[in-house]
Amino acid sequence: MKNLRKTMAFIAAMTMLTGAFASCGSSENSSEAGKSTVSESSSSSGQTAEMSDSDRIVAAAQAGKVGNWGLGNEYEILALLTKYGQKTEYLSQAFDMDGFDDDSITLASAMTYNELGLVKNDYEGGYGYGDTVGIIDMNNEGVAMLEDNLFCTKEFAEKNPNTVKAFISASMKGWEYACENPEEAAQIVFEAGSSVSSDHQAYMASEVKKLVETDTKGNTVNEYGKMDEEAMQQTLDLAKEYISLDDSTAASKLQTLTLDDIRDTSYWEDASADDFGDPEKTSVSVQLKWLPQCQFMGYYVAKAKGYYDEVGLDVDIVSGGGDIGETTAVNNSTVDFGVTWVSNLISADAGGMDLLEIAQVYQRSGLVLVYKK
Amino acid sequence: MLHSKKVRSGVTNIGCPLLFGAALVASWQTGLLHKILKTDEYILPYPMRIIDIMKENSDKIMLNVNASVKVALIGLLLGSVLGYLIAIIATVFPKYGSGGLTIVSAFNAIPIVALAPVFINWTKDVSDIAEERSMAAKILVVTVTSMAAMSVNAYRGLTELPPFSEDLMKTYAAGRLTEFFKLRFPNSVPYIFTALRVSVPGSVIGALVSEYFAEYIIGVGRQIRENILIAQYATAWAYIVTACIIGIVMYAILMLAESIILKACLHRT
Repeated sequence: MKNLRKTMAFIAAMTMLTGAFASCGSSENSSEAGKSTVSESSSSSGQTAEMSDSDRIVAAAQAGKVGNWGLGNEYEILALLTKYGQKTEYLSQAFDMDGFDDDSITLASAMTYNELGLVKNDYEGGYGYGDTVGIIDMNNEGVAMLEDNLFCTKEFAEKNPNTVKAFISASMKGWEYACENPEEAAQIVFEAGSSVSSDHQAYMASEVKKLVETDTKGNTVNEYGKMDEEAMQQTLDLAKEYISLDDSTAASKLQTLTLDDIRDTSYWEDASADDFGDPEKTSVSVQLKWLPQCQFMGYYVAKAKGYYDEVGLDVDIVSGGGDIGETTAVNNSTVDFGVTWVSNLISADAGGMDLLEIAQVYQRSGLVLVYKK
Repeated sequence: MLHSKKVRSGVTNIGCPLLFGAALVASWQTGLLHKILKTDEYILPYPMRIIDIMKENSDKIMLNVNASVKVALIGLLLGSVLGYLIAIIATVFPKYGSGGLTIVSAFNAIPIVALAPVFINWTKDVSDIAEERSMAAKILVVTVTSMAAMSVNAYRGLTELPPFSEDLMKTYAAGRLTEFFKLRFPNSVPYIFTALRVSVPGSVIGALVSEYFAEYIIGVGRQIRENILIAQYATAWAYIVTACIIGIVMYAILMLAESIILKACLHRT
């Protein structure tokens, strides 16, 4: 009898729960019919003829199915949409590729070294699409903006020039070793507190190597951390066009920025020539833009191989992730150095920060749009 | 005597917070607050700067306010109606009701940050237009969060009746419906407002946080996040102030409605 009562209570509770969700259930069902017709028509048109990249971009933009994470990562996509005469609207993409997987996003943003690997490969966390997906490369489209760099505040650089140069020198040595030995670098990062599987880490190392050693035009770069004037200028020009700031003071400052306001090549030049003295500040920290992964392998390798010790630096690598603001952390002196995208540094400086790029690690854009063939 | 007491409580109720607010804004604008909090005018811009940005972007801000308020209000309405219906069901089946309510109120304990991404995945088939399906997902989040407060409070209002009132109804040979409309429903009105006091601010928070995860980019919450991440703190603050105003205005309207409706109820009895 008691048991029966308990079961009844459970059934009643469940009925209430389903009742509570009835609204969502019914709306899902009613639209199911509409959705299936749409997906049928889109798949049949995809099979009839091989689409060109521009057709793909226009089709996805018209359907409102271009995805990007937003939050300062979207400017190359806006430039690309403008190039093809489309409205600069995109869907907010989550940090996984589920939206691409379930076709709610047909042109999804992906970093070559991260999301693209997850889409293609079938290791842990991967979607296993293999060669059934294609990509549209921002470098080939002429809308590339430079990404991962090294920066600090102008004040810090002026006060501690030798620390800055020593840090660049040892970090670039780390990048050089990592690019020569990507597998070992992947292992070092994995052991240093990796956020992803070791298979994905190895994939990432091999892809990051390409971004560090190839420029936007596909030429090989031998000098690690070099600031390519032309690519930097293109980044700044696109930033001025596509970063929209509501704060009119910041918006007008953005338009006045020149390359000299956002970067100083002298530290990198001296560092490359090994022309620096003892560091003024020996204990420094660097704020990464994201979780520990091979995107930042150069720093982990420099630390593990003792390159920082060689120049008399004790370096603390601070991992980012989620909503961490690396520009803010550097600006308020929580950390000394930071890794960010050039566009993010530009908008921070427009907003009133005094940040200075001291080296450009990635020589080409790692952003692509991925689609199902 | 009564009059002077009222005046005095009016002074302490309104005067003190007003004075505190004025002092806060004054120390903020003069930079004293920055020294106390050990921050700079970059992270915490001056009030005048924030107000300037709000004035410059009033159209864009209103567009985002509209989107957020729409989500909060529709979600609040759906959640409250559903919550009240659940409370009625629980009252009709008292043996199983309290157990069911425990489960419903357990939803209240799920953080919105966990709920929002799940609902966004659930509602992907609702519409082929991103704006619509994002709207549905956001409303669903607010619905679930405001449902819990309403069902628990309304259940108390429907069951915790004045002593012997139920027996009185029985002596009148009143039916269940009459009992509901003459006794239980009026008794639950103050409890409805207790629930709304929790769920009105909750609905605003629910709307803002679920905008973080929505596919379609719009809303005050999303603007706060976007601007903080691209280090535009003055603009972010303009949206934070906007969010505060939404919450305060909605709460003030509720307080006004409560005082009018409860007074009307008291007069009737």
